[in-house]
Amino acid sequence: MENKTQTVILAIFVAVSILSFGCGAAFAAVGCELNDPDRDIQKIFPQSTGYKTSYFTIQEAGGEKLKKEVEEKLKDVFDPLYESLDVPYSYYTILKGKDVIGYVHGVNQKGIYGAIQIILATDPEGKIIAFYYQKISSPEASKFRYKSFTDKFIGLTLADFYHSDNPAGKVADIKDPSEKNHGDFKATIRGTKKNLILLDTFILKGGKSI
Amino acid sequence: MAFASDFLFYKELNLIGGYSRKNGWVGKTQELSNSAGFEHYAKFSSDYGDYLTTDLQVRGAYDANQRFSDAVSCEIHNAWAEYRVNNGLKIKGGHFEPAFGLEQVIDAHSTILQTLVMEDIGYTKDWGVELRGSLSGFDYWVALQLGSGMSIRRIDSSYLVSARVGTPAGREFQYGISALCGNVLDTEGMSTFPKNHLLSDKVILKERIGFDCLYNWNSFVLKGETAFGVNDNSNVIGYLVETDYTPPRAQNWEFETQFQSFVNDLGSSRTDNSTLSVGLSYKLSQAITLRAAFMHDLNQYHQERDTEFLVQFYYYGK
Repeated sequence: MENKTQTVILAIFVAVSILSFGCGAAFAAVGCELNDPDRDIQKIFPQSTGYKTSYFTIQEAGGEKLKKEVEEKLKDVFDPLYESLDVPYSYYTILKGKDVIGYVHGVNQKGIYGAIQIILATDPEGKIIAFYYQKISSPEASKFRYKSFTDKFIGLTLADFYHSDNPAGKVADIKDPSEKNHGDFKATIRGTKKNLILLDTFILKGGKSI
Repeated sequence: MAFASDFLFYKELNLIGGYSRKNGWVGKTQELSNSAGFEHYAKFSSDYGDYLTTDLQVRGAYDANQRFSDAVSCEIHNAWAEYRVNNGLKIKGGHFEPAFGLEQVIDAHSTILQTLVMEDIGYTKDWGVELRGSLSGFDYWVALQLGSGMSIRRIDSSYLVSARVGTPAGREFQYGISALCGNVLDTEGMSTFPKNHLLSDKVILKERIGFDCLYNWNSFVLKGETAFGVNDNSNVIGYLVETDYTPPRAQNWEFETQFQSFVNDLGSSRTDNSTLSVGLSYKLSQAITLRAAFMHDLNQYHQERDTEFLVQFYYYGK
């Protein structure tokens, strides 16, 4: 009797598993989550009492049309390995009681030597209050992690990145800390801009024209 | 927001096959079978933030070498709920990894090359409860589990207590010290329903102390672990070293080399299971990975040595 029941349960499960390949699931590849959200969030927002995690994909939020919009704002095309439509982005809404005091969010960015994971903490309006690399594969990783470099991003907003070509602008003021890995510096700027564009798209809903 | 979600749902398809000098054409490894499944990972929140995380990862597996009635099985890999007591403390219940070794740090759920855990404990996951906490410079895990592995059963007073203290996740250099002690059942196979094969109704007394480390260095990931202890009346020791390399100009590719050895009785000679493995993986897309591995036994205790070549198609996505 027990064996019969198990066989029935198993048959149902296998059928559901196989049939589910025809359904539209919400997510695909692994996104850039915080490795240690409790510790990281407490460090950046010591006054926080909790956080809420939400997941977004470009696929769900607008599909190909939204991807094109983001690429236009980014002035670059998405990398198929790192930036597919269905990659889920994790957003941490930081709370003090019930009040929102900021956001933490990360992106994967292709670097010279592999994935770079750029984590930003912003205030509720989207101004950067902390910047760090969760992962950077580079011979000069330590130079990129120097506080003197990462602090340069504090206070910047998406508007500053939209004007990154301006030689007198705040983004142009950030200098490459490395000697031989300018590609990773450029990837950092691109990844940070992408991160802020996605925050604006998914959370702040700015939709401002460039 | 209409398109925000508090859960992730993935589908999984694993196709694996190859040739073994000992067994001829094979369609599975110790941990991987041809299977289809899903993973549902969810966060539960109140107005004050997240308080519960759940994960359910299930595979329906098929073993072509068995009669149909025995060929199909249900493997429950992750099935847990974790309650966040506060910022530094979480309690987990269900089916998850013992708090021991490299398995806590890396996800070898779908890979051909595995950690030492199958030699050390005999399975990758077990049923029970776990306390996980964070202090200023390190994390700790303490788990109490059934000692049965994939299937839910308790025979001959089986149990497993494990504990690990390690650096916080995500550091470039991570390391940890682990210990375990328990009466562990000796089973074969990854099936949860029907219950996997029980090799003996007598438990094995296992005690271990171990060290594991992982170092992300440029395009390399270096992994190592070692564990020393007893199986019943025998002193045992195991160690593993692995190097993974991603070429900067071809980041879809990954090359892996691994050597692992487990000495079943330190008091006698030639009691080790030692295997040298070389692996290659290619990410076709975010969701699809192709893998190949060549594994050569340098020695097998009480068994014929084997040489295997395996290929794998792995889909984890939409």
